Amino acid sequence: MSNITAYKCKSCGLVMYPHHFRCLQCHKREFEEITPSEKGKLLTFTIVEQLPWGFDERGRVLGVVEFDNGVKALGVILAESPKIGMKLKAGWDSVRMIGDQKVYGLTFEPA
Amino acid sequence: MDIEVEAYLRPPEMYMPPYPAKVITLATGGKLVIRQVTRDVVPTLLQAVKPTLEVERDYYDIVGARLYAELLGWYRYRVRDEFCLVGQIEGLLVGIVNTRSFSPEVDISLHTLAIERGLRIGAHLFAAKMEYSIEYLGRKEVLITAESPIGFRRWMIEYGLEKRDGQHELGGATPFALTRDLYFRNKDRLVAGERPVPADLMEVAEREIIIASEDDILEKILGAKRRLVQ
Amino acid sequence: MRPVVVAGAGMIPFERRDEDSLVGMMAVAGLNAMDDAGLGDRAVDAVYVGNMASGLFNHQVSVASALVDRLSLMPAAADRIENGPASGGSAIKNGFLAVASGYADIVLVVGGEKMREVIGPKATDIVAAMTHPSAEYIYGVTLPALAGLFTRLYMEKYGVTREHLTMVAIKNQENGLLNPYAHIRMKITMEGVLTHPQAHINSPIVADPLHLYDCCPVSDGAAAVLLTTEEIAKELNKPIVTIDGVGQATDTHTLQERSDPTDLKAVTVASERAFSMAGLKPKDVDVAELHDAFTILEIAESEHAGFFPKGEGAKALEAGETRIGGKLPINPSGGLKARGHPVGATGVAQAVELVWQLRGEAGDRQVKKATTGFSLNFGGFGNNVLAFVLRRKS
Repeated sequence: MSNITAYKCKSCGLVMYPHHFRCLQCHKREFEEITPSEKGKLLTFTIVEQLPWGFDERGRVLGVVEFDNGVKALGVILAESPKIGMKLKAGWDSVRMIGDQKVYGLTFEPA
Repeated sequence: MDIEVEAYLRPPEMYMPPYPAKVITLATGGKLVIRQVTRDVVPTLLQAVKPTLEVERDYYDIVGARLYAELLGWYRYRVRDEFCLVGQIEGLLVGIVNTRSFSPEVDISLHTLAIERGLRIGAHLFAAKMEYSIEYLGRKEVLITAESPIGFRRWMIEYGLEKRDGQHELGGATPFALTRDLYFRNKDRLVAGERPVPADLMEVAEREIIIASEDDILEKILGAKRRLVQ
Repeated sequence: MRPVVVAGAGMIPFERRDEDSLVGMMAVAGLNAMDDAGLGDRAVDAVYVGNMASGLFNHQVSVASALVDRLSLMPAAADRIENGPASGGSAIKNGFLAVASGYADIVLVVGGEKMREVIGPKATDIVAAMTHPSAEYIYGVTLPALAGLFTRLYMEKYGVTREHLTMVAIKNQENGLLNPYAHIRMKITMEGVLTHPQAHINSPIVADPLHLYDCCPVSDGAAAVLLTTEEIAKELNKPIVTIDGVGQATDTHTLQERSDPTDLKAVTVASERAFSMAGLKPKDVDVAELHDAFTILEIAESEHAGFFPKGEGAKALEAGETRIGGKLPINPSGGLKARGHPVGATGVAQAVELVWQLRGEAGDRQVKKATTGFSLNFGGFGNNVLAFVLRRKS
């Protein structure tokens, strides 16, 4: 389960994440707030060996996932050998420390 | 020399099996030979270290001064259980690394001096001395510190070292440890080299350790250009 | 709008410059451009400074005001222009508009960045601050990571290989050897960075599939151009190189919201706008400076800017068409890959290279008979792009 909110344009139906004040497609301003579905597929990924300052790890896999209800989001991919098109299940976990604060975000495990 | 007094002053030495030389193909396609040297070549090596003594950039002055003292100490039997590896490209000396064994279980990494930059010479030489300590001397861990931010990035971050209590031999800095486990986990990613070194390459490397001119060394360390505004 | 002439061009060698301050570097580059134009004691009306992150890298802001002071250009108007890695291009655009509109007659545009004040991972973090705060940054996204996500798709869709990427690196580092202003001046080989069984240790993964030698270095540096009117340029007696086309376009902040993430729409639109203003076509271009922060970008941009059909950029590269001496030399300067990428300086350095090429002053890397040049400055990960067409008038 994930805690992000995506937006579906009430006028043209385009699903957006993150938030825009006007629809990317039709520029209308009314949206239905939607939650991504539980599962999705991996669109692309990268294995980041050189993370920014503040990370105590290497080889983090980041990927873009398209949820079954059309929401697309980037997150941490927790799969041994990621492949484009693989089915994933969304989770919500600490993804970064900023100062001594845990920051939570999307994580994905093989479904 | 008063041999009797000298015998008191010389630290004891433990046996170290030799480090087998290796060759690394660089990004340029050039061949870097890394091999162990004996104390008799120290005077030659010191010629390459000397020009760095006044280079503030990247703490070359501190690294150079300490390395100079360590090598000299080794040459004149005032350092215990030190080893030294050098990197050469077509005979030319491009880097020096040294380590001191603290015990049969723990080595203390001393210095890494790269005279040629931008080719990961320092990284390859550092990896080679870790290879020697862990794989050939069988140490459980190597204690490491860095004087420069570049060294910090290369060693601490690249190898994900473990922090240790106490003080490192170099100025009492915080020691970080490369354990056997960390070494083998990172080996494929960081430790290069092929053995045996082809005879022709080895012959060139052993024939003479060529030292670049002082100007060349300063130029290579400082970069070709100088500051804009005095 | 009246024509705008680049009457002066100058820069400083890009590298790590611990001993020089940001404003000091920009001042020397500025003087080089002013002297190149032979400006003498004429007043500069306005100064535009391209800089991305002096506040974060150097803990200094208001660097345009600091620069006019160092150069004693007061009371010239002065602004710092921040537009991520396209800050330099945006600064040129602002200078162009000032002269073209009649607001100013003589404008100095300087781009500069001093990134090596912080260690690598911190620089990576500062650069990553341009990503979306909640949808990208928190995950540890870096610019190489965004490029990695893009590269994987591009390779799959168009059959671009790691050999192709390495060919870009080899070509641009070869060109860099001919450029005394380049940060990286080292010839690399396919064996040393790709095909040797241990090449991955020389060129480790940064953000797979991109390796070290696919990425530009982190550099300090500054570059400057002096813009003016045709009348003044004639008085200064300089060869006339004009900015005939300026195009800019934007795209979504995040890569994932693009309906086709391999489509760099902002590059296409910015380039079309620049060509349309200049009344020229991609085939008219003799030399191009593209934003190869990552090797894949040189290939992708060469297609999106209209020089090659989609999927053909790698083939043109393979055929040697983009080498100096080829049909369309790309990045004779060495590009960001070899010249270096002090972010705010890059867009201006590209213009400097084009001016030198179009004047025939590019030395060993001179592209023969170049009269029309094109440059592309790529901000964010393609979310804010500037394109320029420069021409030498006979």
